[in-house]
Amino acid sequence: MRLISLLLAGSLLGATASPASRAPAAPAGSWRAVLDLAGGPLRFTLEITGAGTRLAGRICNGERCEPVSGVRLRGDSLDIEIADYAATIRARIDGDSLSGLYRNVGNRGPRVIPIRAARGRWPVERAPAGMLGRWDATFTTDGRTSPRVIELRNGPRGMEGTFIANTGDYGHFWGRAAADSFSLSHFDGSFVYMITGRLDGDTLRGIFHAGLRTQTLWTAVRSTGRQHLRRPTEMTQADTTAPFRFAFPDLSGRMVTNEDPRFRGKVVLVDVFGTWCPTCHEAAPMLTRLWRDYHARGLEIVGLAYEVSGDSAVDGALVRRYREKFAVPFPLLLAGINDVEAAAQTLPQLTGFTSFPTSIFLGRDGRVRRVHAGFYGPSTGTMHEAQVADFRRMIEQLLDER
Amino acid sequence: MIRLAPLAALCLSSTTLLAQLPADLARERAAYAEWLATAANSPYLAVAQQPIGPGLRIGPAGSDLPLEGVPEQRITQQGAIVALEGPGGRRVLPRHRPVTLGRFTVVAGGTPGRGVLAVFAPREHRETPAYYPHSPTVVFEGPLVPADTPRTLRILAPDGVDVEATEAGTVVVPIGGVATSLRVMRIPDPGTGESELEIFFRDGTNGRGTYPAGRFVSLVPAGPGRWRLDFNRARNPFCAYSTAYACPAPWRGNAIPIPVEAGERYEAK
Repeated sequence: MRLISLLLAGSLLGATASPASRAPAAPAGSWRAVLDLAGGPLRFTLEITGAGTRLAGRICNGERCEPVSGVRLRGDSLDIEIADYAATIRARIDGDSLSGLYRNVGNRGPRVIPIRAARGRWPVERAPAGMLGRWDATFTTDGRTSPRVIELRNGPRGMEGTFIANTGDYGHFWGRAAADSFSLSHFDGSFVYMITGRLDGDTLRGIFHAGLRTQTLWTAVRSTGRQHLRRPTEMTQADTTAPFRFAFPDLSGRMVTNEDPRFRGKVVLVDVFGTWCPTCHEAAPMLTRLWRDYHARGLEIVGLAYEVSGDSAVDGALVRRYREKFAVPFPLLLAGINDVEAAAQTLPQLTGFTSFPTSIFLGRDGRVRRVHAGFYGPSTGTMHEAQVADFRRMIEQLLDER
Repeated sequence: MIRLAPLAALCLSSTTLLAQLPADLARERAAYAEWLATAANSPYLAVAQQPIGPGLRIGPAGSDLPLEGVPEQRITQQGAIVALEGPGGRRVLPRHRPVTLGRFTVVAGGTPGRGVLAVFAPREHRETPAYYPHSPTVVFEGPLVPADTPRTLRILAPDGVDVEATEAGTVVVPIGGVATSLRVMRIPDPGTGESELEIFFRDGTNGRGTYPAGRFVSLVPAGPGRWRLDFNRARNPFCAYSTAYACPAPWRGNAIPIPVEAGERYEAK
C-alpha cells in the first residue's frame, strides 16, 4: 500500500505548494526512492545524514549501502554526486517528497532516468517459500542463450538475492514479492539493474532490465544441483610450463616482480582486482583473513589493481583508499586499466581472462596451479561458503607441498 | 503480417493531448541539449576523429593530429591497450573515457586493435538541436519480429565509431498508408553492458529539413514483447554536429517513402 501513496505523492509534486514546502528543505533521513525505468519502477533507499554544508549520503539496496561522493543542498534542490561513475542525482525537495533526474554521462549522450522518493522506509516484503532457493536460468537475447544461476531468499529487509553468470555475480539484489511475482533491484550509482519474475507452475519467467531500456527475457527451473554454469576454475587457462611472471609498480612506484625474494619458495595468491569492482570489495575481507591465517606458514598474497584512469596519481589514490578501508596487509600493485581486454594483455600467460576479480594460485615453484574466475560474494549464500572453504583447502594443499 | 499499430488510433482519442510533448521526451531532450552545450566531449566540439592504426603523432603543427600547445606525443595501440607516450613517460589511456590533454579532451574508443581517437576543443558553442513539432501520428507500438538467424555486423554507431552490432529483427510500420519494413540492430554501449535497439532510416525529409544521410531512432520497451517506435525520438548521427565524425552508411532497406516530419531537424550551414 505504501507504494501507492508514493506514486500519488510523485504525481502531485509541483501541483500545489503545501505549507511544508515553504519551510527550509531538510533532506536528512531515509527516503524510499524509485527510478522509473521503461520496464517499471526500480526501488532503492536513499539515506541522507547531516545538515547545512555537511551532508552525506548512501544508496542502499536493502541492508547493503554504498556511500555517494557528495551531497549539496541549494534552496530546495538536492544535488548528489557519484563521482566514481560520473553520475549525478538532481532532485527538488517538496516537503516529504523528492523528484528529479538521475544522470550518467557516456560518449553518446546522457542516460537520464526519472527519480522520485518519499520520506520513510520501504516495507519488508517477503517472498513465499515456493519462490526461494536456487534456480537455473536461461537468458535469451536476439536468439542467443546464456546461463545464469539465480539465488532467492528472504533477508531482514525483505526479499533479496543475486544472480550469477559465468563471469561472476551481479552483486546484491533487494526488493519485494507479491503473490506469485517479484521484483529485485541493484542500483549503485552506475549499474542500474532490475530483475522481475513470476512463478508460472514450476517455472520462473521474467525480464532482466539493465539501464533505462535494455531488457532480456529469461526463464528458470529449480536447480537440480547439476552444474549449470561453467566452473569458475574452468573459465581461464594458464601456461604452467614456466613460473607466472608479473612486474608492476607498487604504490610508492617501486617495481615488484614475481622474482622478488619475498615470493621465492612461497605459495602465492595473485588477486586481480579493481577498486571500482563491487565484487572485489566483497572478496577483500576474505583475502585479508587468508593472509593472516596462512602468512606464517608461507602464503604471500599480491593484489594487481586495474584502475579507471591509467594516471598513476589518480589510480594510486584510489588503491590507497582501498588498502586503508580493508586494512590490506599485502602489496597492491598498479597493473593497468579496468578493461578486460587490455588487462588480459598484461597477463599473457593466461587465456580466457574474463573476470574481476580473478584469483591465481601459484605453487612454491611459482607455477600456476589454479585460476579461479570471479568471486561468489556473501549474497550467494552456500556458494560463497563453499568457495571460501575451497580457497582454504587449495592453500593448505599448496603449503603442504615441499 | 505482424506490424506495429499506430498508437494514436489504439489508445488515445484526444490528439490535443498527444500534440503536447510528453514529459519523458521533454526531459530527455533537455538533458541531451544540456550535454551538447556543456560536456567537454560534446559532439559540437569534435575537431578530429581518427583511427589510431599503428600509432598517431600528436602535438605540434605537422603532426598527424596538430594540437596547439600540446607537446609532441604518440598515441599507440597494441591490441586493447591504447597508450600515450611523451615527455612525461607512458600512460595507458582508459578506453571510452574523456582524458584532458592541455586544453583538449580526447576519447579513445573503438574495439581492440581498431581504436579510434576523438579530439574535442573548447569553444563557444551555443547550438541547440532543433525539432519538428511533436506529431502524434508517427508513434507506433507492436512486436519486433526476430531475425531467423541473428548475424553480427560491423557498422558505425551514431558516434561514428564502428561496433559489432547484432541483427535484432524487423518492425513493420504502416506509415503514410504504406507498410514499411525496418531493420532493427542491437548496438552495444561500450562500458555499460547495455545496448539500444536502433533503426537508422532515411525518409523524404533527408536534405530538406533533416540530415541528408538519415537519422537514428531507438525502440522503447512497451510491455512484455512489445516495443514503441516513436519517430518524434528520431535524432541525428553525430556527423550532423561536426564534420570530424564519420557518417554511418545508410542501412539496406530502411527507406521510408514519405517525409517523416518529426524528431530532430537539420539545417545545412
